[in-house]
Amino acid sequence: MKIPSILSETWHVYRRNLKTWLAVPANVFSPLFVTGLLFVIFGSNFENTISLGGFGTEDYKAFLVAWIIVQVVVFSGADSGFALLTDIMSGYFDKLLLAPINRFSILFGSLMVSGTRALLQALLVVLLALTMGVDFQGGMLGILAILLLAIVFGLVWSCLGIMIALKTRNAQVTQTSWVLFFPFIFITTAFMPEDQLSGWFKVAVKINPVTYVMEAMRVIVVEGWDWPTILTGVWVALLMMTVLLAATTWMYRRQTA
Amino acid sequence: MSQDNIVQVEDLVKVYPGDINALSGINFAVGRSEFFGFLGPNGAGKSTTIKILSTLLKKTSGSVRVAGLDIEHSSMDVRRVIGFATQEVGLDDLSSGMDFLVMQGLLYKLGRREAQIRAKELLELVGLTEVANRKVGTYSGGMRRRIDLAGALVHRPEILFLDEPTTGLDPQSRLAIWEHLRELHSQGTTILLSTQMMEEADRLCQRLAIIDHGQIVAEGSPANLKNQIGDDVVRIFIGTGTPGEPGSQEVYTKAAALLAKQAFVSRASVDEGGLMVNVRDGEASAPVLLKLLIENGIGVTKLAVSSPTLDDVFLTYTGRAIRSEHGIGDEFAQSLRPWIGLRGRQ
Repeated sequence: MKIPSILSETWHVYRRNLKTWLAVPANVFSPLFVTGLLFVIFGSNFENTISLGGFGTEDYKAFLVAWIIVQVVVFSGADSGFALLTDIMSGYFDKLLLAPINRFSILFGSLMVSGTRALLQALLVVLLALTMGVDFQGGMLGILAILLLAIVFGLVWSCLGIMIALKTRNAQVTQTSWVLFFPFIFITTAFMPEDQLSGWFKVAVKINPVTYVMEAMRVIVVEGWDWPTILTGVWVALLMMTVLLAATTWMYRRQTA
Repeated sequence: MSQDNIVQVEDLVKVYPGDINALSGINFAVGRSEFFGFLGPNGAGKSTTIKILSTLLKKTSGSVRVAGLDIEHSSMDVRRVIGFATQEVGLDDLSSGMDFLVMQGLLYKLGRREAQIRAKELLELVGLTEVANRKVGTYSGGMRRRIDLAGALVHRPEILFLDEPTTGLDPQSRLAIWEHLRELHSQGTTILLSTQMMEEADRLCQRLAIIDHGQIVAEGSPANLKNQIGDDVVRIFIGTGTPGEPGSQEVYTKAAALLAKQAFVSRASVDEGGLMVNVRDGEASAPVLLKLLIENGIGVTKLAVSSPTLDDVFLTYTGRAIRSEHGIGDEFAQSLRPWIGLRGRQ
């Protein structure tokens, strides 16, 4: 049986892009630092907030874990765009386009690295949370579910980062594009459960798709298998991923015509 | 039009967004194993043409066939047989030289083993074996060009495209690259090179297309192009001193008359710069002229030979000089320019 060449081509691009990312250890381990910092700052400061009730848990760290994962995964999306832009600016992208490979191998190879990155960084957050005593109600399977969701969700933001890079072809813009992602992370039930919110903020939170994905992860940590919440989050993530993959592929085809 | 041509371009037009006419319908062909060049200033359309031929850029209209294949319908097949060293090198800075070349091999469908062997071969060829394990980002400008060239050769392409391959290099690196290209050419590779360096075009190319403002203004071998536009000039200073001084004018006039009678001399005249003789082949004629003058008792103190350059060719066809990188040359030779008969032989 002949393996379609696009698979081996994607694999080669994947390996090279992964090597490039791993070449800068700071890239890989930054989530550890971020997580540790946030746990320390928010965890200890907001210990008493928990007593307001409605959090579903006594441990503020457990409440925060989902948000930290979301944040790490969303921000790494800008990195995908920047990695692509680096290749475009260095001229290496031309080398890839000149090769007798399907040009979508280049895109898919990049996306596979994004997925790997999301997985690795979510895993680091989970590991640190575990060592700091967070109790995952969903168990090992729950952790696995969270990681899978992180991958899917990570692809969403990587696609956005890649589209920004392709469209603007500008290093400064791409590098600071994470700023655009900022509101999406904060206009969520990051620090307060929905019941504690009110007014326009509550409305915005309910509109923000990130809220649902985060809630799905959170519920696995603090409660376990609350299927309605989990499935909502999964559907939202899958929908966003599908839409963005299609948009990115379309834009990629146009830009590399 | 010969079907044997490995590159066949007809009516190639390229208009960039914003109605920028980069190419206005160019026509040319390159024969198999030919060393062909595009010579022209910045913005002439050289890079645009090469990028289209190498499938990196889409044409607006026209027909382009490379290795017998249409570049639009069979772009994947075209990419299999061509290599392209771009103007700004395309390198993976965080990768080692070896890894970069192995990756190129894999992209061109070599097995991993084969890619590694080929990478070692190429590193040897371009003299970078010693730095193979260093990151490409640490290489000097000349080294970067060499590894970039090696990267374009991984799959032993039939046709090699090069866009200003030695721009910005020191003379040593430039000569090294020229040597590699000559070697490749002698092995049968067809080479298509774009440059704004007159010397590069003159030294390397068998045939040239001179391009300006998106059009080919002249085509032919460097020798033919230069011959077509004018003669060589031999400038001679005679022993008695410069003209104008009493007594020497006679000698100059006598010398001019003597030389003008020779069949191979198209013109001989005298001005403030001495005696000026227009001949077909300056280098071959100079000893003959010298002998003639001496035999007739006329002493010679200085002699110089000047030929039309490709810059003069460009000047003839476009009314401007290429802003090329060659050293301006000594003023003496420069002064001969207006006399080379740029308007053609009399």
